[in-house]
Amino acid sequence: MNKIFIAALLLFAFCIGSLSAQTAQEIVDRADEAFQGDRVYSISRMTVFKSGEAQPVQEIESYTMENAGKTYSLSIYTAPRRMKGTANLMIEDDLWIRFGSTGRTRKMSSSAKKNSAGGSDFSYADMGDGGQGLADNYTPKLVGEESVEGENCYKIELISQHADAPYEKMVVYITKDTYRYIKIEYFESNANIKSMKFYDYKTVNGTDYPFRYIMENHIKPSSTEVIVDVFEIDSSKVQDRFFTTGYLESIR
Amino acid sequence: MEQKLNLRERLLSRWARWSVENWGKALLIALVITVILGFGLARLRMEMTFYSMLPDRSNQVKDLKEITENFSYASGILVVVDGRSIEDPKIAEKTVRDTIDELTLEYSKDTYDSYISSVIGKVDLSIFKEHALMLTKIDDLERLKRSYKDLNLVPLLKHINNDFEAEYSGNSDKLEDEEAEAVSRFKGLGELLKLIEDAAEGKDISDTKLDEVLDSYMFGDPYIMSNDNRMGLMIVQPTFNMNDINMLQPGVDTIEMVAKKAASDRGINAGLTGIMAVGRDEMVTSGQGLVISSILALILILGLLVLAFRMFSVPLISGIPLVTGILWTLGLSGLIINRLNIMTAMYIVALLGLGIDYAIHLLTGYIQERDGGLDFKSAVETSLIKSGAGIITGALTTAAAFFTLTIAKTGIIKELGVVAGLGIISELAAMIIIIPPLLAYREHRLIKSGKIDHRIFSKVKIKSDAASGIGKLLVKAPFSIAIVMLLIVIFLSFKAGDVGIQDNILKMEAKGLESVHLNDAMVKEFGMAPDGLLIISSNINEVRDLTDKIDKLSSVRSVESPADYYVSDKEYVERGDFLGEFTHELDGNVLAADVNSEGLLDELYRLETNLIEMGDMAYLGNMDRLVNTLGEITGIDNDGVKIKDTSFDRLFTLLEDNPAAGSFPAIEALQSSVYKKMNQKIRTMASRGKITPDMLPSNIRDSLISKDGKSFLISISPTQNPWEGEYRDIFTSQVNSVTDKGTGMILVADQLNIMAQQDGRSASILALIVVFLILLVDFKNIKLTVLTMLPLLGSFITLFGIMALTGIKFDFINIIVVPLLIGIGIDDAVHINHRYLKEGKGKMALVISRTGTALLLTTLTTVFGFASFIPSVMRAMRSTGIVLSLAMAIAFLFSVLFHPAVLIIVTEKFGWNIKPWNDKNDK
Repeated sequence: MNKIFIAALLLFAFCIGSLSAQTAQEIVDRADEAFQGDRVYSISRMTVFKSGEAQPVQEIESYTMENAGKTYSLSIYTAPRRMKGTANLMIEDDLWIRFGSTGRTRKMSSSAKKNSAGGSDFSYADMGDGGQGLADNYTPKLVGEESVEGENCYKIELISQHADAPYEKMVVYITKDTYRYIKIEYFESNANIKSMKFYDYKTVNGTDYPFRYIMENHIKPSSTEVIVDVFEIDSSKVQDRFFTTGYLESIR
Repeated sequence: MEQKLNLRERLLSRWARWSVENWGKALLIALVITVILGFGLARLRMEMTFYSMLPDRSNQVKDLKEITENFSYASGILVVVDGRSIEDPKIAEKTVRDTIDELTLEYSKDTYDSYISSVIGKVDLSIFKEHALMLTKIDDLERLKRSYKDLNLVPLLKHINNDFEAEYSGNSDKLEDEEAEAVSRFKGLGELLKLIEDAAEGKDISDTKLDEVLDSYMFGDPYIMSNDNRMGLMIVQPTFNMNDINMLQPGVDTIEMVAKKAASDRGINAGLTGIMAVGRDEMVTSGQGLVISSILALILILGLLVLAFRMFSVPLISGIPLVTGILWTLGLSGLIINRLNIMTAMYIVALLGLGIDYAIHLLTGYIQERDGGLDFKSAVETSLIKSGAGIITGALTTAAAFFTLTIAKTGIIKELGVVAGLGIISELAAMIIIIPPLLAYREHRLIKSGKIDHRIFSKVKIKSDAASGIGKLLVKAPFSIAIVMLLIVIFLSFKAGDVGIQDNILKMEAKGLESVHLNDAMVKEFGMAPDGLLIISSNINEVRDLTDKIDKLSSVRSVESPADYYVSDKEYVERGDFLGEFTHELDGNVLAADVNSEGLLDELYRLETNLIEMGDMAYLGNMDRLVNTLGEITGIDNDGVKIKDTSFDRLFTLLEDNPAAGSFPAIEALQSSVYKKMNQKIRTMASRGKITPDMLPSNIRDSLISKDGKSFLISISPTQNPWEGEYRDIFTSQVNSVTDKGTGMILVADQLNIMAQQDGRSASILALIVVFLILLVDFKNIKLTVLTMLPLLGSFITLFGIMALTGIKFDFINIIVVPLLIGIGIDDAVHINHRYLKEGKGKMALVISRTGTALLLTTLTTVFGFASFIPSVMRAMRSTGIVLSLAMAIAFLFSVLFHPAVLIIVTEKFGWNIKPWNDKNDK
C-alpha cells in the first residue's frame, strides 16, 4: 500500500511548472526527493471505516518499480480470508485483477482506475498511477502558508491542465522545515471531495517516509487508514517477473 | 420640585401629577389605546413554521415557492415502514411489503380524500413494460440486443454472463451506486435459477410464477426497500403543501396515525419523514415550547416580585401594564406586519422579562422617595422624573438596537426588529402611562379602607445592604476588581474566535423527533436522503442536459427528472430504426427443440464464477446487502467459505449425471415457456409508439411535471445527509458547478444562516453607532460614552469565549443575542452613570447601594424571561434561552462590578471629567 503514498508523490515529481510557479515547483521537487526510491516492497494493513465502523482489515503485500519510464505495481491481498490471493497488477494505465476465489484474471477498462480500490477511499489511480502522463496534467502554484497538524506548511495548488486528469485540482501541504507532505486535498467539480493526511514518518535509507496515512472521504461517511508494517527501498524482493499477467495468474 | 427640569422631565412631571389626580381618566386612556390596537391584534396571524421564516427575495426561495405551489413532489410525505423489530429477516421483509400494500389500499380510500391526493407504494412499471427500449439510450440498446437476441436458455445465460463480465468486473463504484438495482436483478436471477432447478427436478412451473420471476429479473423490485430489506418506503402526496398552515398538522397527523396503526397491527413500526413531517413536528414542538415557557416566565417573574416586595399588589401594579404593553406590541405588530413567526413569538415571551424592568425601576424609586418622607403625589412625580431619565434612555438604546435590525435583508430579522422595537416602546409607554394611576388607585383604596401603611417594598433595605456591601468593595478595591475582570476577558478573548455556527438546521429542532430520526435513518438504511436539491425548468432539453451532467457528480446519488421519459424526434427515428431491426432479428430467432445440457452446464459454471467474483467485489466494497444476496445464490459466506448447497450445486449434479440430450424434458418445457414469455415481453418493451405525458407513471407525471404541464422538475439526491454543513457545501458546490438554478430547503436554510449572520453583523454595527449616539446625546460627554460601551465589549468577549469553551454554537435564532446584548446589556451601566453623575465623586458606594437592588431585580426578571426558553423541547429555543440568560448575567456583572470600578479609577484616581459638556458645575 506504499503505492498510495508513492503514487501521490510521484505525481508531483513530474510536474513541469511555469516560470512564475518556479518556487512552488522547487518546493514540490524538494519534497519529492525523499520518494525517488525504486523497487519498493511493503506490507501494509488497510482498514475502511464506514460511518465510523471498522470493516475487516485488508492486509496487502505490494511491489512497485520503475522501468523505462513506466510505473509497475503489484498488490496481493493476504487478508481477510475471503480476499486472500486476490491481486491487482497495474502497468501505467492498464489494470488487471486476479480473483483468489476463482483463480480468474480480468483486464479492467482504463476508466476503472478512477474507481474505488478494494472498497477503500483510494482510487486505483491514487494507489498506483504516477506516470508522466498524469503528472503532466498539473501545474503547481504556491498559494500561501498554513499550519497543519501543528506544522508550518507551504500550501501549494496543483491545477489540472487536461480534462482527463483524475482530479481538477489538488492542494498539498508540505512542511517548511523538513519538506514532508502532511496533507493532500483532492478537488472535483469545485469541491474538496477527499483529503489524505500523513503520519508517523520514519527514516528509511536516509529519507523520511510516512508509515501511516488516512484518506478521509467528504462525500461518503467513510475513511480509510493505511498502516505500513514493512517498507523497503531498492528491495531485492521486487523482481521484474512479478509484473506480468502470467505471474498474476500463478499467484496462489 | 425646585430644581430646573428639562423638557423630558417636565413632561414626566406633568403626566405624573395629572394621572394620579385623574387616575380613572388615565386608565381610560390606556383602555382606549388598547381597544384601538385591538384591531391590529385581530389582524395578527401566528405563522409558526420554518417555512414562514424563509428569506423571500432570493431566486432560490422564489423557485422553491413555485415548486411548492406547482409540483406535488416537494410536498411528498415519506412513510417509512420499519420491520427491524422482527428478528427473522425474511419475515420482516414480507411484513413490510404486506404493510405497504395494506397502506396503499387504506390511503386510497375516499375517507382520506381531503388530505391525500395519491399514494405510491410501489414503483409503477407499466411504462417500462411497454416502452423500456424506446426509453433506452442507443449504447445500452446494443447491450440489451446482445442479451436478448436469442432467448433459448443456453444463449440467454451466455449473454447474461457476457453482460456481467463486461459491466461489473472490478467496477465496485458502479456496484455501490446501483446496489439496490443490482440486488433486485440478482434476486430475479436467483429465482430464475430456482425455476431451472425445479424444472430439472421435474416440477411443474406455473405461468403466473414464471411471469413473476421474469418481471423480477427484467424490471427489478417495484417496492422501495432498505439495504437490508427490513424497511420499506412509500410516498403519500397530500392535497396540501407547506403553505397550508391549517391543513399541515391535521393532515400529517392523519397520515401518520393510519401508518402507525397498520404497522402496529402487524407488530412493526411506521413513521413519517420529509420536510412536511419535520414542519409539522416543528409546528407542534415550537408551539408547546412557547406556551410552557410563557407560563413559566410569568410565574418566575411574579414569584420574584412577590418574594422581593412581599406584597401581592406589586405584581398586579407591574403586571397590568406589563400585559397591556404586550397587547399594544401585538396590536402594533398586527397593524404593521400582520404576523408573528417563531422568532418574534419567542421575543414576545422575552418581553415579559424586559418590560417588567421599567416597573421595577419606577416602583423602587417611588418607595425610596416615600421612605425618604415625600407624600404620595410628590413621590410618584419624583420617581418618574428620577427613574424616568434612566429608563427612557435605556429603552431608547434598546429599541434603537432593535430597530436597526430593520435594515436586514432577511424578512424574519426585519420583522424581529419591528416587533422588538415596538415592544420596548410599548412597554415603556404602558409603564409610564399606567403605573402612576394604578398607584393612585391603590392609594385611594388604602385611604378609603383606613389603612395608612404605604410601604409596599419592605424588603428593599435588606437587599440594599447587600448592594451597599458591593459598593463598598468597589470603592475599596477598584483596581483589583477591574484587573480581575480584565484578565477574565483577556483569557476568554483567546477562545472567543472559536465560537461555532450551527449549520445543521435539523439539530435546531426538538431532540428525538421521529421525523428527524427517520431522516437520518433514510441515509443510513436506504442510501438516500429525503432532502436534496431541486431545479425547475420549462425547457425539456435543458432538463435533459442538466440531468446528464448532474448525475455524473460524485456527491450525487441519483437524479430524477422527466428527461428519463422524454425522447426527442431524432431519437425516435434512431431508436425506432434500431428496434425495427431488433424485432426483425427476434423474428429470425427460433425456439430450440432441446437444451444442450453440456452448454447449459458450462454457462452455469461460468455464471456461478461470475457471481462469486461479484460477491468478492461487493465484499471489498462493504456492500452487505449485495454480499448477502449473492451469498444466498452461491452458498458462500462472508469469509468466502462454501457453507451450503445451492441451485447451482443441485443443477451441476443433475446435469453432470445426465449429460445426454433430452434427459430433462421439463427444462426443455421451461425453455419453451421462457422463450415465449420473454419474447412477448421484449416485443412489448420494443414498442415504437410515441410516449405521451399521460403514459408516464403517475408518480412522475404528478410530481415532476407542473400542474399546467409547462415546467419540469429535476430532483437531485445526495450521497449523504445534506443537512450536515461540511457535506452540504460539497454537494451544493458541485451542483453549482453545473448550474446555479438549484434550490431546496437545504440551500434556503443555508441562505437563512448566511443572511442572519450578515444581517446580524451590519445591524450590530449600526446598533452600536446608534447606541453610542444616544448615549452621547444623553451624557454629553465622549469619555463617559466610551466608558459606558466598555462593559459591553467585555460582555461580548466573555459570552463568545464561554460559548466556545462549552461548545454552544450560534444559529440563526440565538444570534438575536447580539442586538439584544447591545440594547439591554448597556442599560445597567446607563442607570449607574445617571446616579453617579447625580451623587458625584466619592459616592459610588451609595450609587451601588441605591441602584444595585433594582439592577439585580431587573436582571433577574430579564434572565427569567429568557431562561424560560431553556425547558423548551426545541433545541434552537433552548440554546437561545441559555445564550440570552448567560449574556444578561454577564452584562450585569460587567455593569455592576467592572464599570463602576473603572469609573472610580478614571474619575477619582486619574481625575477624568465625565460631566456633561454643558455642565458648568465641575463638582
